[in-house]
Amino acid sequence: MKPAPFDYYAPDSVEEAVALLERLEGEDVEAKILAGGQSLMPMLNLRVARPDALIDLRKLDTLKYIRDEGEVIAIGAMTSKSDAEDSGLLKQQQPLFQHASYLIGHRQIRNRGTVGGSFAHADPAAEYGAAAMALGIEMKIVGPDGERVVAAEDFYITFLTADIDSTEILTEVRVPKMAPGTGWSFQEMARRDGDLALAGAAVTLRLEGGNCSEVRVAVFGVNGSPARIAEAEQLLEGSSPADELFRQAGKAAAAAVDEPIADVHGSGDYRRQLISVLVARCLAEAVERAA
Amino acid sequence: MTTGQKISVTVNGVNYEREVEPRLSLGDFLRHDLQLGGTHLGCEHGVCGACSILIDGKSVRACLMLAIQADGLEITTIEGLRDPQGGHLHPIQQAFVEEHGLQCGFCTPGFIISTVELLAGNPSPSDEQIKDALGGNLCRCTGYETILRSVRLASARVQAGKAAAHNSA
Amino acid sequence: MVRDIPNSPDMLPITSTRYVGKAVKRIEDPALVSGTVEFIDNYSVPGMAHCAMMRSPHPHARVLSVDTGAAEKMPGVYAVLTGEDVKKWCNPMATSPEGWGAYCLAVDKVRFVGEPVVAVAATSRYVAEDALELIDVEYELLPVLVDPHKALEADSPTLFEENKTNVIQDRSYTWGEIDQVFSEADHVFTEKFRWNRCGANPMETFGCVCDWDTVNDYVTCRGSYQTPGFMALGRAGSFNLPSNKIKVISHPHGGSFGGKGGPRGTEIAALLSRKAGGRPVKYIEDRVEYLLAGAGQSWDRYYKASIAVKADGSVSGFKVDLLDDQGAGSEGWGTISVAKPLAAFTGCYRIEAAQYNMKLVVSNRAPTFAYRGYGPPPHNLVLESLMDIAARELGVDAAEFRRRNYIQPEQFPYTIPSGNEYDSGDYEAVLDKVLGMADYQALRAEQEKLRAEGKLVGIGVASTVEPGVFDWNAYSTVGVAGVGVPEGVKVAIDIMGQITVTVGFSLEGQGQYTLAAQLVADYFCVEMESVRVAYAATDVAPPHFGPGGSRLGVAMSGAILGACQKIEDKFAQVVARLMQTEPGNVELMDGHMRVKGVPGAEMHIAQVAGTMLNRSDLLPPGMEPCPEATYVWTAPNRNQPDDQGRCRSYLTAANACHVALVEIDPGTGVTDILKYFIVDDCGTRLNPATVEGQIQGGVAQGVGAAFFEEYVYTEDCQPLVSLFSDYLLPTIHEVPIAAKGDVVTPSPVAPLGAKGCGEGAIHTTPATLMCAVNDALFPLGVQIRETPMSPNRVWTLIQQAQ
Repeated sequence: MKPAPFDYYAPDSVEEAVALLERLEGEDVEAKILAGGQSLMPMLNLRVARPDALIDLRKLDTLKYIRDEGEVIAIGAMTSKSDAEDSGLLKQQQPLFQHASYLIGHRQIRNRGTVGGSFAHADPAAEYGAAAMALGIEMKIVGPDGERVVAAEDFYITFLTADIDSTEILTEVRVPKMAPGTGWSFQEMARRDGDLALAGAAVTLRLEGGNCSEVRVAVFGVNGSPARIAEAEQLLEGSSPADELFRQAGKAAAAAVDEPIADVHGSGDYRRQLISVLVARCLAEAVERAA
Repeated sequence: MTTGQKISVTVNGVNYEREVEPRLSLGDFLRHDLQLGGTHLGCEHGVCGACSILIDGKSVRACLMLAIQADGLEITTIEGLRDPQGGHLHPIQQAFVEEHGLQCGFCTPGFIISTVELLAGNPSPSDEQIKDALGGNLCRCTGYETILRSVRLASARVQAGKAAAHNSA
Repeated sequence: MVRDIPNSPDMLPITSTRYVGKAVKRIEDPALVSGTVEFIDNYSVPGMAHCAMMRSPHPHARVLSVDTGAAEKMPGVYAVLTGEDVKKWCNPMATSPEGWGAYCLAVDKVRFVGEPVVAVAATSRYVAEDALELIDVEYELLPVLVDPHKALEADSPTLFEENKTNVIQDRSYTWGEIDQVFSEADHVFTEKFRWNRCGANPMETFGCVCDWDTVNDYVTCRGSYQTPGFMALGRAGSFNLPSNKIKVISHPHGGSFGGKGGPRGTEIAALLSRKAGGRPVKYIEDRVEYLLAGAGQSWDRYYKASIAVKADGSVSGFKVDLLDDQGAGSEGWGTISVAKPLAAFTGCYRIEAAQYNMKLVVSNRAPTFAYRGYGPPPHNLVLESLMDIAARELGVDAAEFRRRNYIQPEQFPYTIPSGNEYDSGDYEAVLDKVLGMADYQALRAEQEKLRAEGKLVGIGVASTVEPGVFDWNAYSTVGVAGVGVPEGVKVAIDIMGQITVTVGFSLEGQGQYTLAAQLVADYFCVEMESVRVAYAATDVAPPHFGPGGSRLGVAMSGAILGACQKIEDKFAQVVARLMQTEPGNVELMDGHMRVKGVPGAEMHIAQVAGTMLNRSDLLPPGMEPCPEATYVWTAPNRNQPDDQGRCRSYLTAANACHVALVEIDPGTGVTDILKYFIVDDCGTRLNPATVEGQIQGGVAQGVGAAFFEEYVYTEDCQPLVSLFSDYLLPTIHEVPIAAKGDVVTPSPVAPLGAKGCGEGAIHTTPATLMCAVNDALFPLGVQIRETPMSPNRVWTLIQQAQ
């Protein structure tokens, strides 16, 4: 189980990396970006991925930061997941994102895996997908034509495919802070702790005069891309929180899932069921935290 | 380039300059180029944790890195934990011996490396925190009970600051 | 001469033991925690080539052509091995029954996905894998045998065409008046069970370095071999070599659990070496290879079983119909796993009659291999589940129902219907102790309370016998011949009084080297540090088998004690001569040879050894100056099986009772193990810490089999599990830490009274957990009869109930 040969580049700056991507594309060389490598390396070892060239971003220390920018916490793409997990800023001001970071794989994976790498890889089982949808995270992407910012709703396209062109690099994710008083929950079900989730959900909401408001419900792991579930949100919006309502919202979320994944760990129906249960449990927990 | 590229890497305090093919995994590099065979490869796809090493004090999987990515980094492997002069075991190694924290011993370097990182950041972890730190290391022999006990003992020793390193029966 | 081996530590020649029976630290561990042990992939020699294998993507196909031209020309490639070479140089692997083994590389056809087709030896594994990409193989697809039930039909696609059938064996064994017992029973309970494939998965995969000395036709194989002597014999057969022209060197290995076979890898590496002119060839199986086609798959079973029960709750009969899917042949000796349950067929119970219909068939799944327990764990799950069904129907508590049926202490030695003799036990004492630890009545009360709150909470109680110290005669029902499994050691005391024990097996994890040092140190009353345990390869080691069938602790103890006694006898002669008395007046005690009844007339053993080696003038005339001895132990009193497979096979019968409390999340189908209790009786505990380690390790594997581990195949026999992210070994989060207690009923027939305990808890844990899950599900009116009890499966059942 050893990788096939490839050319290797480790550019010193984002600009150099983008220029390299452009050049290689012009030469019809299939290049892949290597960030933390925690998803790519197994694929290379298995020869499932066999790019002609690897562009390693390891020298881009400028993309390692977690910054307080007022309304938003800006996280450099090369920041490790464990740095996000350990970040006091995130713990205090965006606990859902911090908790989602902690739920990813195991410590050894989080130490090496990067925040940007996870977003760019767009694995449907990635916790950050649901976090992005629930929190309204934005992605900063740099390419030959400069910088653009993409909203989470537009970012995820399908399995392992995000809105990043082959000559672009994701450089930053912009995570809105959680407003004080917001209730949140992030829950997932994996066969073992630390495994890729079979399904998961993220919820944020507020309580206004005892009723739910600003309800956001996002799910991940069940099909090609993370998604917000408007059907579930609408059921809750303006309503007084109650277990029965949470269950209905869960069912609505499950019903909204198209073409659920089926694999050795669970059928499509089972994954739908998990969504139903997890959304309901997330809502209950979020209400508790908001109260 | 697919051909050899020069790297400079510090492993267990020793600097090595070597030419490596870009595709060479860090695990293979440590094991076969540097003859540091204590970093074991159990799955080569990042699940079993046997190949865990420390890079700048943080545990990572050597099978999920290329040797070339280690250029300029400081690595500690299981071989680097013993006291190089006296040969005494590291307190965590000693605790694993005393608590029967291993059977076949193949996964053990990975567990010990994960424990080093854990106790460095949290000298008195709860059982849940220990499990969290070791959840990414698979053991097929022990059923984990004695591993948990080993980490507890190591933690107590670190706490008490009297890392007994003698090796009596 | 067979010696009388002491059956209690009290009989050792030491006033009080210092090591035996104590939880001493393992001598293996300082090197293991330091990362300096020479596992096989840490071994290399200059000029060594590395092997990679091209494997079949098809479950069943004819190999029409193999084009290796481009690979052979690739720089860095030393040799390419194909089925043509193998047909010329090698025989198919031996099996029992005969005729169900393939060649190590596909010859003419492939029978499972992952079967090696071409192998390359090159300068590195990287280059070898590159070369594989240059090889073209043309296949003609053949109909696939997926469903083992179809294997019984005459028109199923035939895997081994020369056998003209897919049925390896279809035989029924009857013990006692089974028909009468069932017709006279007040109740008969029948149920079907499905045990899906799981297996060993040691953390180290198989590996070897083989070289074929083409001048002398002498083959040396180093590797992670569990049973080196057996491996050597098998390869001599495959290579048509005289058995003394193959040497196997077992390196310390990273676990085995039966799953360190590697016959194919060994043969391929050796033949590549031959083709490369004798260059050593290393093959390190990777995890994908292991999961697809290594020695990691076991126990693919469909059961239909019945018990006959009288109105008073006594179980009188047990019938088992087993269809066992061996996969694509029995090169992994998976057949034995069907035979082994005879050694404890009726478990802990006084069941007078039994019947076993064993159907062993092939399919286009990977061949099955040995795995810890070697067959009884699924069998126990079936028996214990039926015990629960009967208890429930009769309105008797699960623990109480078992108690009523236990074999009683005074009935030992007890011969079970399938022929084996249990040496000793006190099953009720074990049950009482574990129920006490669990506070069983309170646990049941707690369960009632939680049930009333709508929670799915269940308690499982299971009792099993672990047969210890295997003998070949146990497997006669699948054609294995022979009685006795010799295990030999050499004990030598040097001129400085230091002691070396030479054994024929290497480190594997069970702490046997430590046990050897404990025994010798206490026998001669020296420090453990004065004892070194050395490994000897097959060409120089005494007859040996190594670990397997819960035997080595007992067998090695017998061999060590025999060897120590022989040395003691020699020393007695020397000392008798020096002290001018008869050898019969001289005895060993606390490290000194003493003249009985003469205070002060004694010599330390080091002095005696020194005299033997350095003062021939003082020795009895004609005495060989050799302060060492070899002794080969085999279990006493074993016999030939009769035509129904009945014989005294496994020497010891350990016993355990487990109690588990589980809760099922009805929303997700996830089972949480809340509490777990074990009481175990494996006789004398020679090193309680290693015994507990074996037990807890068995719990982990049992939890894996019960909830997580499964080799899934598609409906056209494509394996879906080839990664550790899909084959789910339990982590530290999933394994309950069992509260453990012991009862000690020493074996009257085994060395020091110890019973085999290496396989331990995997015999009991899956049964316990299935009983607990079904107890939890009972209020819903559904029951699970399939492993693993994955969340998806449990949830589906819950859905059916609603």
